[in-house]
Amino acid sequence: MGNIKQKDLILYSGLIILGLAAPYLFSAFKVQLTYLCVLIVLAMTWNLQGGEMGYNTFGNILFYGLGMYLTASVQVGMFFPLAEWTESGGEKTFVHTTAQYFQGIGVGLLVSAIIPAIVAGAIGYAILGLRGHYFAICTLGLGIAAGEIAGGIEIIGAGQGFTTPPFPAEIVDTEARGKFFYFLSFALLIGTFVFVKYIYGSRFKLILNAIRDNEDKAEAMGIQTMKYKITGWMCSAFFCGLAGGIMGGLIGYIDSTDVAFDGREMGVFMVLMAILGGKGTLWGPVIGATLFHFFKEGLWTLILGWQYVALGVLIVVIVIYFPEGLMGWLREKYPERFGEVIDEKDRKAQVELK
Amino acid sequence: MNKLVKLFITSISAITLALVSFTSSFAKVEGDYIVLGSAISLTGKYSSNGVHTQNGYNMAVDRINKMGGVEVQGKKYKFEIIYYDDESNPKRAAQLAERLIKQDGVHYMLGPYSSGLTKAIAPVTEKYKIPMVEANGASRSLFTKGYKYLFAVLSPANQYLEVAIDLAVEKNGGKGVKIAQAFEQDAFSQDVRLGILDAAKRTGSEIIIDDKLPKELNDMAATLAKVKATKPDVLVVSGHTKGALTAIRQISEMKVDVPMLAMTHCDAAKLSKQHGKKSEYALCASQWHKNLSYKDKFFGSGKKYAKDFQKEFGYDPPYQSAESSAALLVFKDAFERANSFDRDAVRDALVDTEMQTFYGNIKFGPGGQNVAKPMILFQVRCKGDDCENRVVAPTKWASDKFYHPIPKWSERS
Repeated sequence: MGNIKQKDLILYSGLIILGLAAPYLFSAFKVQLTYLCVLIVLAMTWNLQGGEMGYNTFGNILFYGLGMYLTASVQVGMFFPLAEWTESGGEKTFVHTTAQYFQGIGVGLLVSAIIPAIVAGAIGYAILGLRGHYFAICTLGLGIAAGEIAGGIEIIGAGQGFTTPPFPAEIVDTEARGKFFYFLSFALLIGTFVFVKYIYGSRFKLILNAIRDNEDKAEAMGIQTMKYKITGWMCSAFFCGLAGGIMGGLIGYIDSTDVAFDGREMGVFMVLMAILGGKGTLWGPVIGATLFHFFKEGLWTLILGWQYVALGVLIVVIVIYFPEGLMGWLREKYPERFGEVIDEKDRKAQVELK
Repeated sequence: MNKLVKLFITSISAITLALVSFTSSFAKVEGDYIVLGSAISLTGKYSSNGVHTQNGYNMAVDRINKMGGVEVQGKKYKFEIIYYDDESNPKRAAQLAERLIKQDGVHYMLGPYSSGLTKAIAPVTEKYKIPMVEANGASRSLFTKGYKYLFAVLSPANQYLEVAIDLAVEKNGGKGVKIAQAFEQDAFSQDVRLGILDAAKRTGSEIIIDDKLPKELNDMAATLAKVKATKPDVLVVSGHTKGALTAIRQISEMKVDVPMLAMTHCDAAKLSKQHGKKSEYALCASQWHKNLSYKDKFFGSGKKYAKDFQKEFGYDPPYQSAESSAALLVFKDAFERANSFDRDAVRDALVDTEMQTFYGNIKFGPGGQNVAKPMILFQVRCKGDDCENRVVAPTKWASDKFYHPIPKWSERS
């Protein structure tokens, strides 16, 4: 046991060192790396619902968008009148000092973690009684509705969008902004990973699995499934909100349906990445998100105009050939590496029987 | 499992390293080429206008390269553009701008299509001090942010339809009019709306319907039903190409009678071709029309440009293409005057731009917007089944008189 722990230690410290060194090694790719961190966070948190709990949600984009708007609003609203900032598509310009900018984003991120979690609790209480595809469709509606509503709220820029505060001009280094957002998202990634890993070692995960495998039986065993379902969703919302907040600052411009409540892209991507890597595993979403991001950044520009066709093909291929994701496929191919022992005699006997 | 993870990480690192060595081989000026970068909407809701923009860019690149290119320090250079598809999504556009600058080493940018995407890209180009000449981001708020590296060859969006309200008031004997308006929820259309609000205030007009249309719009029947009931003097609709097409389709289906219909994007939507007589009398704001009398040595007159464009791409150029072509003329002019590839020298040269192109006069105001060119209005007029856009305002270029009011549907054949 101790031996494995040591191996893990080497792996994790290696990854952390790689993560910390990445913006210096691949300086030109900082923004893509930041996206990668955020995508992994989204895939991992989606996996808590879709993979572990068996509730395929399309609603996590709601918390992501909410976090985005909240961070930006708090960051502006703490120091300037928000209504004037967004009036007429943001014509007036107020300038944050360096201290204001970082204070604002700090408090903003805090808010963007807490409020989405509360919202998840409230909505979860209302709709987590639905099961299967009813739940999926219902959550699909959440993201769309939120986008349309946000597009009508004047104080957050409505249809004209919300320009987030520019990075303080006093910091002359043009790389500083990229580094700041990268390390922020990397910290979030580590936080999320540690949290999810902790869940994987806890009773909580087993309860989620029980709900996935047979909710009625779980209930019959005395588990208050509703309580755990809501808690699970709130955990996801917490991290999704943070991810959204960071992305808002990085992109610099929030549009209601195309950037914040972007169910058509981010909302679908997070599901796809988790399934590609293998849902219901710790590393699956991480690997899925990484591969997906590389596929997207590497290939999409080569097939201008056909990216979404390629994406469609990819989805079909994944579902047909890797229904359990890459991790599931690997597990089937090399079960011994996953610590599964196969009884050769028994396997042969079964083959002969067939 | 750990071995697998390690293997995976090693391979990812290897790919990344390969990518680094691959992409950094590009540079701002490569051999005889000046490399410009642009994220453009080839897919998504702005795809048709994105293609108009790209065609405009390509047409100008070809023409300038054929006619000797750009002369800097005695050497002739040619233009080349790296395109990426931004999928009509601001998030993607900002990311691609970063990619063009950091990975492809682009030092000069051309704008994307639409105000929203320009709003997303401008902070990036500003951060890296990359001069961007854009031709399709008209939102007024782009020019109040104090951006130093943003230059727009077009007039701001709020000016699009202000003139139309003035016309309506004039026809009403100087008294205020009743305005019904419906705008898509996007940065550009909402800015057009601000212009109307200003004009209404100025002329003492009353806004009786003020609707918002969803993005990806294909239905505005609810608004039109209200218009039928309340009988306004003017109906204003703006929502890019789809907005124009939807409005005409449903107005004719529902037989909505309104004395004046003012819109944007009629030529980009090829309205007079697509809807023919149904679109007659629609009043449209435009940045450019081929009949205007501007000239330059690359494209000649607007009419010549239209003819060449038609030959190359098979359709009449909408103003989105014309202004995009003009953006390259501006860049060429700035490079030659700066006589250098230093970004700040080029930027300073852009500030001093004062030139005439086939598209119009170009001179940048303090915010980066073009202050030398007025907006024009044209009206769709038909002879038999053959419909055309005729300029009706300003009077200097008007080829036809403004027809008002629009005859009722019951009287139209």
